[in-house]
Amino acid sequence: MMSELSKMKFYCDTNRCIECFACSVACAEAHDLPTGISRRKVITLFNGVEGKEISTSIACMHCTDAPCEQVCPVDCFYIREDGIVLHDKNRCIGCGYCLYACPFGAPQFPRDGAFGAKGAMDKCTMCAGGPLETNSVHERELYGQNRIAEGKVPMCASICSTNALLVGDAESVSAIYRKRVVGRGRGA
Amino acid sequence: MRKYVTMIIAALSLASVAFATESQIWGEMRIQNILGYDKEGSTHLGPLFTMLQHQYFAWIFLGVLIGVPLAFFIHYKIIGPKVFPHSAKKYYAFNLYNRIIHQVAAVSFLVIVPTGFIIVFGDFFGGGTLVRMAKNLHGIFTIPFTIVVIPMALMWLKEALFNLDDIKWFMILGGYLSKEKKPILAGKFNAGQKMWYWVAILGGITMILSGAIMFFLDFKMQMLHDLTGLSQIDLLRAAAIIHNVMGFAVVALFITHVYMSMFAIKGAVQSIITGYVEEEVKILHSTWYKKLKDQGKF
Repeated sequence: MMSELSKMKFYCDTNRCIECFACSVACAEAHDLPTGISRRKVITLFNGVEGKEISTSIACMHCTDAPCEQVCPVDCFYIREDGIVLHDKNRCIGCGYCLYACPFGAPQFPRDGAFGAKGAMDKCTMCAGGPLETNSVHERELYGQNRIAEGKVPMCASICSTNALLVGDAESVSAIYRKRVVGRGRGA
Repeated sequence: MRKYVTMIIAALSLASVAFATESQIWGEMRIQNILGYDKEGSTHLGPLFTMLQHQYFAWIFLGVLIGVPLAFFIHYKIIGPKVFPHSAKKYYAFNLYNRIIHQVAAVSFLVIVPTGFIIVFGDFFGGGTLVRMAKNLHGIFTIPFTIVVIPMALMWLKEALFNLDDIKWFMILGGYLSKEKKPILAGKFNAGQKMWYWVAILGGITMILSGAIMFFLDFKMQMLHDLTGLSQIDLLRAAAIIHNVMGFAVVALFITHVYMSMFAIKGAVQSIITGYVEEEVKILHSTWYKKLKDQGKF
């Protein structure tokens, strides 16, 4: 039985993130993202303030109660058994409602229609592709690599040189983080 | 006409410049947007929009789509249409300019309203090409409406101002609840038509603006930020809420307008096609009729 703890989650350890942008670049490269679309982004808070500056990496957070899924007028979202929030780009009409509902600003819209109309929404898939046939050419073209199906870690986390970006089921992620906190001898 | 085309092209090219510069949603502002989401003292527009869109909007639209025509169907069955004889007496009330302006708006609405419903019930239609096309038509047909909305507002403004006749009109609901043909106090436009005028004009402009905000998405509107104090993402959320809520009113009155002209008053639609109003104004717009008669125009 799938519990809340066995859902797939991202976590970025701000004590380790060094703002190298590798996750963001690797993601864009791995999925052949068009210019202007960055599924993953590195942000820095308190830039330049000594002792306070922290960096973190954000993308779609694959919410359990995903608001995007709740507002979509064409019901193009689906949440996998393992908690990964995916969407069907062939069903998406590019209305933008998911972006308004999202707390993280994750959904993005390439301008590919006439008069700058919004195309199908694009967001992080946790490298799990989409509803099309797994690892097919079409899936790759629309959603990028399906690394999860190949048993690989999502690109961003696998490239993270400081292992700041963690991904996995919530239980394992929190176990790793707990161990780090104990090792550091202080909290997050 | 050329001025309008130039304006549209200018707006589009300006939009592309704005997209190229720092994004209001995915750029620097993204941090504030994330931190402010549903925090105390924030606008709470994100969760509010999510709740409304998730639980209410589609159902209210369905209620309007079924409820309003159903009420009129019952009205048609019980009270029935008002039929007036075609007499030789006619008065030329709507000139060619009035009719062209009205027809452009009418055609726009006939596309915008049904495509709007297709978007709202997008899951019923399965999304994809059909709904995407509806969404594009919804936007494209806003352009002709945008062009005629101001001329339409100006050409009928004087007749659309409310006066004392309208209170009496409202008290008997325009006489639509009785089969009798007693003269009803109303000028060129009755209180119902005036109501539709204001909803179509002010509501229409609100729909255009909120729709444009959503269409251009990341277009920087400094003036609006200063005016409302909202960030771009909150502006979008507010626009989506306003667009839907105003949509209820516009759609309900649009259906009413169509029912009145096509069914309730038999042949009434002819007056905006040919420009001539007939004897029925004696009953339905008695104040106006008296005035015209005094001037010897009827």
